[in-house]
Amino acid sequence: MKRTRKPGISRRSTLALMGAGAVTFAAPWVARAQAKTIKIGMPTILSGRVAQLGTSSRNAVMLEVEKVNAAGGLAGRQIEMVIRDSKGQPQEAARIARELVNTDGCEMLLDGEASSGSFAVHEVARDLGVLCIHTCSEASSLTADPKQHIPNAFRCVRQGIHDSIVGAGYAAGIAKAKGLKKWATCSPDYAYGRDTTGEFVLYLKKFAPDVEIISESWPKLFQPDYTEVVTKILQAKPQALYSCLWGGDLTSYIDQANIYAMFTQMEVFAVNMADYTALTVVKNLPKGIHSGDRYIKTFPPTPENAAWGDAYKAKYNEYPTNWSWQNATAVMFLNEAVKKANSTDGKKVAEVLAGLTIKCPFGADGTVTMRADDHTLVGYAIGWGTTIPQEPYVPDVKAGDWKAIFELEADWKKSKGYT
Amino acid sequence: MTELQAGQSAQPLEVPRIETRPQRYRDVLIALAAFVLLALLPMVFGSKQLLDFVIRCAAYGLFATSLNLLVGYTGLISFGHGMFFGLGAYGFGLMMQKTGVPIPVAFVATLAMTFVVAVVIGAICVRLKEIYFAFVTLAFQMLIHSTILSWQSLTGGDQGLRGGIPRPPFLGIDLSNHLHLYITSCALLVIGLFLMRQIAQSPFGYTLRMIRDNATRASFIGIDVWRAKLTIFVLAALFAATGGMIMALFVSGAYPEFAYWTISGEGIFINMLGGVTTFLGPMVGTVLLLILNDTVTRLTEYQGIVLGVVILFFAIGLRKGLMDFVVEWFAQRRGEGRG
Repeated sequence: MKRTRKPGISRRSTLALMGAGAVTFAAPWVARAQAKTIKIGMPTILSGRVAQLGTSSRNAVMLEVEKVNAAGGLAGRQIEMVIRDSKGQPQEAARIARELVNTDGCEMLLDGEASSGSFAVHEVARDLGVLCIHTCSEASSLTADPKQHIPNAFRCVRQGIHDSIVGAGYAAGIAKAKGLKKWATCSPDYAYGRDTTGEFVLYLKKFAPDVEIISESWPKLFQPDYTEVVTKILQAKPQALYSCLWGGDLTSYIDQANIYAMFTQMEVFAVNMADYTALTVVKNLPKGIHSGDRYIKTFPPTPENAAWGDAYKAKYNEYPTNWSWQNATAVMFLNEAVKKANSTDGKKVAEVLAGLTIKCPFGADGTVTMRADDHTLVGYAIGWGTTIPQEPYVPDVKAGDWKAIFELEADWKKSKGYT
Repeated sequence: MTELQAGQSAQPLEVPRIETRPQRYRDVLIALAAFVLLALLPMVFGSKQLLDFVIRCAAYGLFATSLNLLVGYTGLISFGHGMFFGLGAYGFGLMMQKTGVPIPVAFVATLAMTFVVAVVIGAICVRLKEIYFAFVTLAFQMLIHSTILSWQSLTGGDQGLRGGIPRPPFLGIDLSNHLHLYITSCALLVIGLFLMRQIAQSPFGYTLRMIRDNATRASFIGIDVWRAKLTIFVLAALFAATGGMIMALFVSGAYPEFAYWTISGEGIFINMLGGVTTFLGPMVGTVLLLILNDTVTRLTEYQGIVLGVVILFFAIGLRKGLMDFVVEWFAQRRGEGRG
């Protein structure tokens, strides 16, 4: 066969050489452009049973980051998010957090981990001194316990103790009005479930001393079958039930309890019901379940909150979750803190963040504050209401009183030996 | 002449003793070379990620190799070996947080505690065979995991040991310095692997292989099978606990996930990847799994699918671990060369 290719430099080689030349000459400009960006790392859970925690957090962060970038970025630097999956394993969360800072060059961390993972990332922040905002862990001890306190870590998340105080006040009012004295509890068997239920019962008895707990159930986390729990509660015949089951566990529980018509036989107080993840998944949402607000776009009843909820839905074709507003708020805090500090230096931003109050669609009075003494979020919209089976799902939410929350929270901290 | 007299007059049978000393010297040299190489790594490559990677390799490598002492050498397929990894992490973390003793004391005390727990659990488990052994070890693991979750006042429940693990300097070593932690982890890894290698190559190691191949026969020639199995169960637990301590130092905490069955599952997975017929198989498996995990996590959140495909490739495609495959391939080539 005759060879058609002529000797010498081929067209492909010429193109490759030109490409290489272009890259060589463009490199300094590319590098300069990269130095202008600021990388923010985010370890979170993107796979497994609670993947929605990570995906809805990521969505909210990206929604806010796009706004910040469109407005010129953080002190003129465009934000580049580096988001990785920890699979919910604390050792992976720690590894990824270290990798994000040490290898990827992230200057700040948004920690989208839950429970033990957030404590693992907290230790990385302690070790590396990097600015870190926890955005998903509701464990009160993360910021309430002075042993955990480090100047460079903050928590932009609602807390179990706040929910319990507001919930118990709301429930005590109904208990007194309707004469609900016999109560049962049904919560997941791990620290969050036990702590939150214990705190709710403590304050419920404080506000309504006649209340008596006649049955306690502690199903395992991610338990698929609740028949035994439902029948146990029905046999005890309580007048009211408190539960802090959440996500898939809560929806499975409601679907299974519906078969036994449980919700017609007692008043049910489920703190985590009013979140679209649960509200839209339950097959037949019973009317009249009392719930705390996780995230609904009608509470706080402001145009800013509704607009934010709609913008999220328009972009991602699903409603935001409780994790979404927390993550969005964290980006808002960063943006404001960098503006005030006029710098992206982690130390300077941390100094400004402590005690910072910002305008926010999720604030009880249109603002939220990063409390200076324990670096935690306060002033967010918190309230309880009753469900209806269609939108807006919880039409009338009774807002909690932050003054009362602060007083009781201070007592609680003392009782725990935190202050 | 009676048989007895005949026996008395007969010369004692000369059993040729295998000289193991040169092999041990070779192992010492390899171990020293490996340690020097690892210690020089940070000077050659400045990457902190590499240091993190090697520290994690040390933790998982000790754990997986100790599991191979049970699975590969003794034929005891333990589904609950992760409990000792968790015990090591919790024992060490709690000791440092609650008592404030020097690190070497906490290290030894954790090993002593693991020893006691492993003797009790092992004494029950090693009487059982095959699937029964596997399931009872799994049951004990879940018992320990549940205890960690429930004993909240001591362990912190599902939130783990919080507040960081204090690391006071000792003998000029400051484990809160990442480089010192790296060198210490490498030293523990090399010493651990060297000791396990000596166990595997000792007459006791060969006794274990005999038990794996035919426990009844071993019993008939006078070996106390139960005692041998218990001994290796406890020794493997001590190395797994050392791995757990390295991990606790790396994350500066201990979490219930360290004692969950998934850790044992990862150990089995590592052994399948690297191979169980060679001593370094699990170490190669550890490096492979961690590289796979780290690269795949960077690229996609569907890492479960990727890892599943990889394990299918090894289980159905190669039908053995990587080191098994490589060793066989070399042996085959050598055979062909001679032929």
